[in-house]
Amino acid sequence: MTSSGTRREDVIAARRPGSPDRTRPAAHRAAPRRAAVMLARPRAAAWARAAAAAAAAAAAAARALSAPAGPPDSPAPASATTAAAAAAAVPRSEKLFLERPRLPVLRACSTALPPHRAPAQAWVESLRHHDDTRLGLADLHPDVFAVNPRLDILHAVAMWQKNFKRISYAKVKTRAEVRGGGRKPWRQKGTGRSRQGSIRSPLWRGGGIAHGPRGPTSYFYMLPMKVRVMGLKVALTVKLMQDDLHVVDCLEMPTADPQYLLELARYRRWGQSVLIVDVNEMPENIENAAASLKTITLIPALGLNVHSMLKHHTLVLTLDAVAFLEKKLLWHDTRYSPLYPFSMPYSDFP
Amino acid sequence: MAALVAAGALGRRLAGLGRAGGRRLVQSRPGAPPVPESPPEPPPETPPEPGYPGVVESTAEYAFVERLLPPTRVPDPPRHPSYPTPSGWTPPQDPPPALPYFVRRSRLHNVPVYRDVTNGNRELTVVRKIEGDIWALEGELRAFLAQRAGREPRTQVNELTGTLRVKGRFDGEVRAWLLQKGF
Repeated sequence: MTSSGTRREDVIAARRPGSPDRTRPAAHRAAPRRAAVMLARPRAAAWARAAAAAAAAAAAAARALSAPAGPPDSPAPASATTAAAAAAAVPRSEKLFLERPRLPVLRACSTALPPHRAPAQAWVESLRHHDDTRLGLADLHPDVFAVNPRLDILHAVAMWQKNFKRISYAKVKTRAEVRGGGRKPWRQKGTGRSRQGSIRSPLWRGGGIAHGPRGPTSYFYMLPMKVRVMGLKVALTVKLMQDDLHVVDCLEMPTADPQYLLELARYRRWGQSVLIVDVNEMPENIENAAASLKTITLIPALGLNVHSMLKHHTLVLTLDAVAFLEKKLLWHDTRYSPLYPFSMPYSDFP
Repeated sequence: MAALVAAGALGRRLAGLGRAGGRRLVQSRPGAPPVPESPPEPPPETPPEPGYPGVVESTAEYAFVERLLPPTRVPDPPRHPSYPTPSGWTPPQDPPPALPYFVRRSRLHNVPVYRDVTNGNRELTVVRKIEGDIWALEGELRAFLAQRAGREPRTQVNELTGTLRVKGRFDGEVRAWLLQKGF
């Protein structure tokens, strides 16, 4: 919303020709798209040939893709036509023999929604081709992906993660532990010097330390379980709301080349570091590709934590990981206090 | 060791007199430690009789253990023929009221109004789990409590946590007011 009295048309009319248009919030995303397409185009054909050769024995056949259905991008349509032209330049039929899901991929929440809230939504993408950015829509539960942005809880959980494992091994000797110093160095009176009782008092050079670190110190503490759960929910919410969360139908890749993953992340503007989360088993291609990369990390859903989510720029979740997280995190909203630790059997533990 | 061997040999020689006699002569030395006997050999394995079912592991009785394990989730309240129930509970209105704010129920399905006491004399009424336009709720609550108490009470709004604190002990009235609104 502009301030009172300023209209967008006046701002545009007053702009000098050639200066960038800052009236639209997402304008900066539209312009570089052309350059990004140039990035991908030279390699895509080589990978497509390699993938086709490697996957020639695969069972699935390529399906002809209709143009991606869905609402157009919020910036000007000029970028969409440019992207479409670039996509036409890389023939889709050449790229894959990987099995593709029936389009569009729609995911609904399995847990009942509260009656007054609508689900958050995210596009379902895929790693099979660099242009597979809108295969469908995923509904995300608002009590996990649209909670209040409690940055204080996020900070508390991040600090807890950093400090609860810390054991400080610093230890210095007190005047009792330093070797020597049992005898009074000179008599109490008459020497003209200050009265001293031991050569190892903290006042002396070489003496003990009065209030130094004493022994291994543990900084262990536990935040309540519900606070840690809230931290995860807030982190997921923040990632989604800042456009750093991407949902992927599965982690199938056409090649095991780490460079493919890097350039895909660069083309889709995922940022400097990517955290990819799946539930259990991951395909070989992405495991081998991510093994040698430092900025792209692959973790199981059980290993998701606030520090990793904040450390990596982008979070990529599979649909299975979204279902798993929703199930586990929403259980805490309706559970009893534990009668005995949850590590022991209950009848309906999630 | 030699004495034991000798005793064994003597026992065997005297076994000709009679099996019982030989054994009694060898073993009846007073105060002597008992002769360690070799462990009895296991009987030779006989083939199982035809018709023997063998050992079967069964988990059929585990159902009796499973039915004792407690649940973890708070169940949804059952449908009652009339409300309020004998304990005074009323379910939230379905569909939710058309107001700019919404007050969720607690995990045990109660209206989230609580009493807070500090220093023994500072009483507060806390309304939690507020979503939407919390300031609208605060304005309406102020008007309601002003009408009840004669003057507007002091309130504090925390938008981030969705809580509203009112100075004074009004928890029963606020709870009834929210129930009447349909939350």
